[in-house]
Amino acid sequence: MNAPVRLRVENLTKRYGGLIAVKNVSLELRAGEILGLIGPNGSGKSTVMKLMMGIEPVSGGTIKLGDADVTQWPSHRVARAGVGIVFQHSRPLHRQTVLENIKLALLPDSLIRLFADRDVDTRARAIADRVGLSAVVNRHPSTLPFADLRRMEMAKAIARDPQVVLVDEPFAGLTLSEVAAFSDLIRGFRDEGRAVLLVDHNVKSVAALVDRVFAMYLGERIAEGTADEVMQDATVRRVYLGGEIAASHKRAEAGAHKPPLLKVEDVSVFYGKAQALDTVSLNVGQGEFVSIVGLNGAGKTTLFNAMSGLVPYSGKIDFGGQDLSRLTAGGIARHGLVQCPEGRELFGDLSVEENLDLGGQHLTAVRRREQLSWLLEMFPILRERRTQAARTLSGGEQQMLAIARALMMDPKLLILDEPTLGLAPVILEQLGRALEKLRETSPITVVLGEQNVTFALPHADRVYVLEHARIVWEGDSQRFAREMGTGYL
Amino acid sequence: MKSLLRSPALYIAIAVVIVAALLPLWLDGYILGILTVAYYFGVFSMAWDLLFGFAGEVNFGPTFLIGLGAYTAAILDNQFGPPIFVCVLAGAAVAVLGGLVLAVPALRLSGPYFGLVTLVAVLLLQNAIVIFAHWTGGEIGMTVPDVLSIDAGENYWYALGFLVMCAILLFGLSRSAVGLILQASGQDRIEAQALGFNVTKHKIAAFCISALFSGVAGAMLIFYMGTASVDTVIDISIGVQVIIAAVLGGRRTILGAALGSIFLILATEFLRPLGQLNTFVVSAVALAVILFFPDGLLGYVLRAGERE
Amino acid sequence: MVYLQILIDGFAISSLYALGAMGFTLIFGVSGVLNLSHGGIMAIAAVIGWLAAGDLGLGVYLGTLVGVVAGLIASYVTYFIVILPIQRSKAIPRDETEIFILTGTLLWGIMIQVGLAYLFTDNPVTMRPLIDGVTYIAGVRTPKNEIMIAVICWIVIGLLWLLVNKTPAGKRLLAASINPRGLTLLGFDLSRIYFFVWGIYGVLAGVAGVLLASFLGVSSASAGQLTASAFSIVVLGGLGSVSGSLVAAYVVGYLETITAYLIAPTLRPIPALLLLVLVIYVRPQGILGRR
Repeated sequence: MNAPVRLRVENLTKRYGGLIAVKNVSLELRAGEILGLIGPNGSGKSTVMKLMMGIEPVSGGTIKLGDADVTQWPSHRVARAGVGIVFQHSRPLHRQTVLENIKLALLPDSLIRLFADRDVDTRARAIADRVGLSAVVNRHPSTLPFADLRRMEMAKAIARDPQVVLVDEPFAGLTLSEVAAFSDLIRGFRDEGRAVLLVDHNVKSVAALVDRVFAMYLGERIAEGTADEVMQDATVRRVYLGGEIAASHKRAEAGAHKPPLLKVEDVSVFYGKAQALDTVSLNVGQGEFVSIVGLNGAGKTTLFNAMSGLVPYSGKIDFGGQDLSRLTAGGIARHGLVQCPEGRELFGDLSVEENLDLGGQHLTAVRRREQLSWLLEMFPILRERRTQAARTLSGGEQQMLAIARALMMDPKLLILDEPTLGLAPVILEQLGRALEKLRETSPITVVLGEQNVTFALPHADRVYVLEHARIVWEGDSQRFAREMGTGYL
Repeated sequence: MKSLLRSPALYIAIAVVIVAALLPLWLDGYILGILTVAYYFGVFSMAWDLLFGFAGEVNFGPTFLIGLGAYTAAILDNQFGPPIFVCVLAGAAVAVLGGLVLAVPALRLSGPYFGLVTLVAVLLLQNAIVIFAHWTGGEIGMTVPDVLSIDAGENYWYALGFLVMCAILLFGLSRSAVGLILQASGQDRIEAQALGFNVTKHKIAAFCISALFSGVAGAMLIFYMGTASVDTVIDISIGVQVIIAAVLGGRRTILGAALGSIFLILATEFLRPLGQLNTFVVSAVALAVILFFPDGLLGYVLRAGERE
Repeated sequence: MVYLQILIDGFAISSLYALGAMGFTLIFGVSGVLNLSHGGIMAIAAVIGWLAAGDLGLGVYLGTLVGVVAGLIASYVTYFIVILPIQRSKAIPRDETEIFILTGTLLWGIMIQVGLAYLFTDNPVTMRPLIDGVTYIAGVRTPKNEIMIAVICWIVIGLLWLLVNKTPAGKRLLAASINPRGLTLLGFDLSRIYFFVWGIYGVLAGVAGVLLASFLGVSSASAGQLTASAFSIVVLGGLGSVSGSLVAAYVVGYLETITAYLIAPTLRPIPALLLLVLVIYVRPQGILGRR
């Protein structure tokens, strides 16, 4: 590689109190090259990008832009030195037109220059043309479709001709054809000699575009190389898939003839302009264990939030014969559809016991005590910690508390959203055993949303795969192991 | 520039100003007096809108800046008697200093905390005036030996001229490149910095500009009224009026703030026969506007292009 | 002698401040609202209570009760016609809701203040004491009413503590102030919780208002000052921390009493204000605030 290094990061470290988000990361961005920075949620990849841009202060290590040491520089200085960033979420000025938004990116940082130079207008139009926004330059952002807003973000980022371009989740929310157009745009940046960094969850989605990949997990580098090399890397596969895939020995029951307990029909969800779910349909039978498998950002949490009544949706969700759109979110939970969310949503300042108690508020006092002792048996660690504040528990213990609290409600259907996120393998085993016990001892129906396929598969009767807001595969777990196992990543 | 000269709004504005300038030929001194005060309030509200609408900072105590300008000018005039414009300049300088003092916590605090600082600033100033009653006349207030003019018409033209000048300056600023940067800084700090703008620098500048106009207008108001008191330039209710006028007229329009002020003061006056209830009615109307037309009267009209 | 006087008077006024402040912070912690019409609600309770006790001839005790009910009603009116419409409004962008609520409640507070002044003039109303007569505490001449007020305040504070820590409904309030989404997921609709908390707030503000009328007198003009001091105390103690408000109320109450007695009555509010400025700069989350 003879191309000059535009941005070099050495031993970069970032600490948030006791949490180490980024640990000794070193990488280089070269001119005319696209580097993919890959990792699941919590891997530190977005933090690395923010550190490069000077948005957050560095805890250790150095960042060099060309020859200059920019480690301590505030972000506006880094920007002026030639780094452009496209944030994950579009940030337009709503009161200005597209053209004015782009012009802003071309203005000097001056208190005195009241009028922009004459060529700013021309240059802004040229940039708009380049990203495909010529037709809408005089419109306001709120009238634009999602993809055009993303184009505007790109336009702003390259307006001052930066040598380094950082792009966070380039394709989130885009349709396949839009993805192709944006890929061309990004390739264009590279071909102009810029150094491009793409941050994403998923190697597969950026594989065609990147020249090199740098994979991260829990703040550290775990692999580096071409896209193929990284996808085959054993550590990467373990982190993403959780290891070897073993299907459960259960089959999809002949109970497929019974009416499903939960029926999701053509559900779509939009966050503003971004489509988070695209006509998703699935069903879950009584007593079944269904795994919904997909990477971060595929739409699992959105799907569960639609089921729980926390986001508006189009389409129909039916639970035990009841149309859920008629109930409030609290009502849905009372009706027996209980979610243990990705963020756990515990009451940090309250004790373990108080958290559990709140879960059991809808039961009679007798039932509540029974339920509590059943759960403390299933999760003995909670019995030990019952008077401690939930905030002081470890990650794994908090997850168990969250699940136990949801179970206190004696649900008919339990949704588990990414319970394994950020947990050590030893805890995963405990969790897995607890889930097995749950299935054996109660008739509960479970929907598990997971990125970690190794964890999700052994318990599942059936599997759905969610990718880019759509269901792309469904079947029983053994078929999944056969068909999807190797190609999943 | 060209688009400005072609826009019908410019000609409407010019027509309005001409009509306003001719009003002393028909109206009596009393109404002219009301309008004079209204014009100074117009500047207060425009200065507030620049800070809130453009730099995104909520100042719950605009009267801190106004009061600093007013009282500095008044005290200076009483103690040393320099010409009015020197007093006004001094008032402006002290107000700008006050603006800087407010800017510092603004940059470190967010949400309700900064709003609280601005409220506390007013309370402290109020208490300071009462404590140092020897110089300030305390709760009763003080008179100033000089006034701009004794003639209602002349005073009216001073105020109108001042309002128009400030309107041009502030509106021009809001539409300029600097105004665009301020808007970005106020709306989205991180994005503005990622685009290469030193947000801190711009926000401090916004505070100082807001303070400058508030202070000058406050001082000029004193030299119109001939008196300065807590009730007329410092009390929280005055600050509330300034804010409501800007919200009523439409945040982020600058000119809307001026119109809102004029409307508010005229309405209060018009409802004077109701006695104390006039404040009630005006507050009720303002509340209704906030609930049903949060963009304000002018804002509603001007924002039509932004909606789908 | 003076010190004992300060101790006693300070205790009484602090207890009253505490009651008002705890309500104010409860609303912020659970509902997320800084209610700038707080003083107005207290004033309504005071004036209606006085009206009921005197003009309507219901006597002091019944009048007090009527006053508290008036506070409750005023609280709900504030919630349903000012706060809820702003929170639900689609025309107001999410990040500006707070500012609109502040402005809206400020306006509403002004309306209350002017309305009361119009109907009842802005002369202070004083409730007749709940207990007549004076007693001597360690040689200090103290009106029995003052002691009664402090006792009532503490009974109410005690009930509040019991409610929040020992009853299921109260624990839900606490949970809502920590994590509203978590509570929804457990099957509780937040709208009911908010209804409940505004009711409690109305009672707290009502009691504080009526008792203040009995102790010092309340006028429509004091509405603004009452809001300002509640706001200061709450920020000092930590926005959202009920126990913080309690502590801060005593700090402010005693600071004010000491200043009034030992320095000068006119300088009464100053030290507390200065302390507030100091706290905002050094520790903006307040004495017991979470951050």
